[in-house]
Amino acid sequence: MIIVKNLKRYYGTGETAVKALRGVSFEIKKGEFVAIVGASGSGKTTLLRILALLDDATEGEYTIRGLQVSSLPEAERSYYRLTQVGYIFQDYALINEMSAAENVYVLSMMEGKSKKESYETALEALDRVGLKGKHNRIPDELSGGEKQRVAIARAIAKKPDILFADEPCANLDTTNSRQVLDVFKELNEKYGQTIVMVTHESWHIEYVDRVITLEDGILISDERINEKEVNKK
Amino acid sequence: MINDIRVGALIASSSIKRGNKKTLMFIVFVLSLIFMNLVFLPSMIGGMMVLFTGYMQDYPFGDVVIEPSGDNTYINNADSVLQKVRAVEGVRAATKRLDVGASIEHKQNVVGVTVTGLLPTEEYEISRYPYIISEGDFLGDLSRDEIIIGAAIAGTSPVFGEIYDDLGEVRAGSLVEVTYSNGVKRTYKVKGIMEGTFELVDLNALVHYKEIEDVYGLEGSKATSVVVRVDKQGTEEQVQDKIREAGVNEQVFTWADKSETLIKQAMQSMGAIDAMSKFVSLIVGAALILIIIYINVLHRKKEIGILKAVGITPRSIVLSYAFLSMFYVSLGILAGLVLYLSLMLYFQANPVIFYETMEIRPVIDPMLLIQSMVTMLTLSVIAGTLPAWSVSKESILKAIWGR
Ligand SMILES: Nc1ncnc2c1ncn2[C@@H]1O[C@H](COP(=O)(O)OP(=O)(O)OP(=O)(O)O)[C@@H](O)[C@H]1O
Ligand SMILES: [Mg+2]
Repeated sequence: MIIVKNLKRYYGTGETAVKALRGVSFEIKKGEFVAIVGASGSGKTTLLRILALLDDATEGEYTIRGLQVSSLPEAERSYYRLTQVGYIFQDYALINEMSAAENVYVLSMMEGKSKKESYETALEALDRVGLKGKHNRIPDELSGGEKQRVAIARAIAKKPDILFADEPCANLDTTNSRQVLDVFKELNEKYGQTIVMVTHESWHIEYVDRVITLEDGILISDERINEKEVNKK
Repeated sequence: MINDIRVGALIASSSIKRGNKKTLMFIVFVLSLIFMNLVFLPSMIGGMMVLFTGYMQDYPFGDVVIEPSGDNTYINNADSVLQKVRAVEGVRAATKRLDVGASIEHKQNVVGVTVTGLLPTEEYEISRYPYIISEGDFLGDLSRDEIIIGAAIAGTSPVFGEIYDDLGEVRAGSLVEVTYSNGVKRTYKVKGIMEGTFELVDLNALVHYKEIEDVYGLEGSKATSVVVRVDKQGTEEQVQDKIREAGVNEQVFTWADKSETLIKQAMQSMGAIDAMSKFVSLIVGAALILIIIYINVLHRKKEIGILKAVGITPRSIVLSYAFLSMFYVSLGILAGLVLYLSLMLYFQANPVIFYETMEIRPVIDPMLLIQSMVTMLTLSVIAGTLPAWSVSKESILKAIWGR
């Protein structure tokens, strides 16, 4: 589903350039739940942002379902972000002045769905992440875990090909982290959602099928943990 | 595009609904002041215009004024004109006047003036001259060696004291020598000093109509103007037409016709001030709106980045700010209107008083109000979209994470 070839990302130019990614290649299949791990500064966030079309690679190739997305013009990338790619931020990145439901359905409206349809899609997505009955609350009235689940609902409401999450539990305690990871697990197992998640915590590994490890901008290991999942597709 | 508008409206409305109410109130307050600034001074200047035109009616022109046609210096048979005019329906009173140039001398001081020859008893119905004598008395029917002098030339005016040359403390009872433009000299006793707090009056002098006739050797009831007052204000133009229909072949003007040309001259500097104040207000207003919205946009830069990151089009984001600033400005205009109208009410009841007697009541000019509203709304759209547009052009990474 995703093919990355020799991806490089340099910040700045010349001698002082920071080489955050020095040529990373891998492939992710539909239905996989992948963790990207590595020391701080190893390039995890940089990689994920490029994959989610929030940033451009300096060099290399990136295709989603055979489409060379690295060379798309901004307007099309924007549309791709809206319809195909979900991104979950470490700090939730919700719009504080919008209710949980509005945060989710603004995207469906952007896609051109009617208000009613958008609202229903939003409620369904919130339902899926276990936030039934809390759709009218604004972010300030939700716990960290709940906020992150609203963010997940926003990301999955459009039924994206791939869901990216950059340390989604970094600001959460263990209980809230588990809630979020359980949601991921369920989305992955029940709906076959492809998920790529950056994480620091070793115990998160028990939720995933595959672990990609980065070090200094280079992929140093790619382990499959759950063989059964891999064989699925 | 429709989706962009819907999403823009949703973003704007939720940010209004749940945004900080204090900030909103502050923004609206500032905008209302900008609006006030745009309309208040012009209203005051408008009030001065009204005052000025009031003077035009009360002194030189009446409601309708008849002047010699063509190159003639005089209206030839003013009495027959008066007869026709007085017969016209809607005319309350009319009189003839003779304006001539002269210089007045008193104890080595000489000043140039316009001397108006008038019929004293008729003026009570026509002008306010008889009512503004601050010292002494107005002329009577037998006043042949007497003169009324404006306060500014007498040197007693509290208003124009320092501005114009004067005769140096002329009082009622003083003797002055007048040299007319044809060289004839006459000595008059000052019967009274008139004070109208208006240059055209206070720089003038009045004598009996017969005096001018005599000095210039005029016969057959000549006049430089026939001044007409109407029964009802607002009917000047009808009366003007009727006078023409009555067979008066001289030029017939309404006070407004006359004031217009006069105002164009006399109020030119005022007009320049007015235009400048409007211009400055607009620049200041535009800058303030821009700053307010810009700060607002900067404040929500991260949000703009997030919206873009999740796939909201930059166009909807820019639109949402256009809606937002239009909303702010509409509220600001509304608040400004309330403020403005209450101030107007206040000043109607308590006019600004200049020089003790000039009461200035601001006038409300609906055209100006509409113009200001449209200007502010247009500005707000520009001021709202420009900053949002520039931020929405930034890369997502920069908007969200600042680098
Ligand atoms: N905008 C930027 N400009 C310059 N250097 C950057 C920028 N963003 C990241 N870097 C550098 O690139 C390298 C990789 O950063 P990245 O954020 O991808 O690491 P990470 O693996 O996500 O780290 P962490 O676990 O701390 O989040 C680091 O050395 C970082 O300092
Ligand atoms: Mg990171």
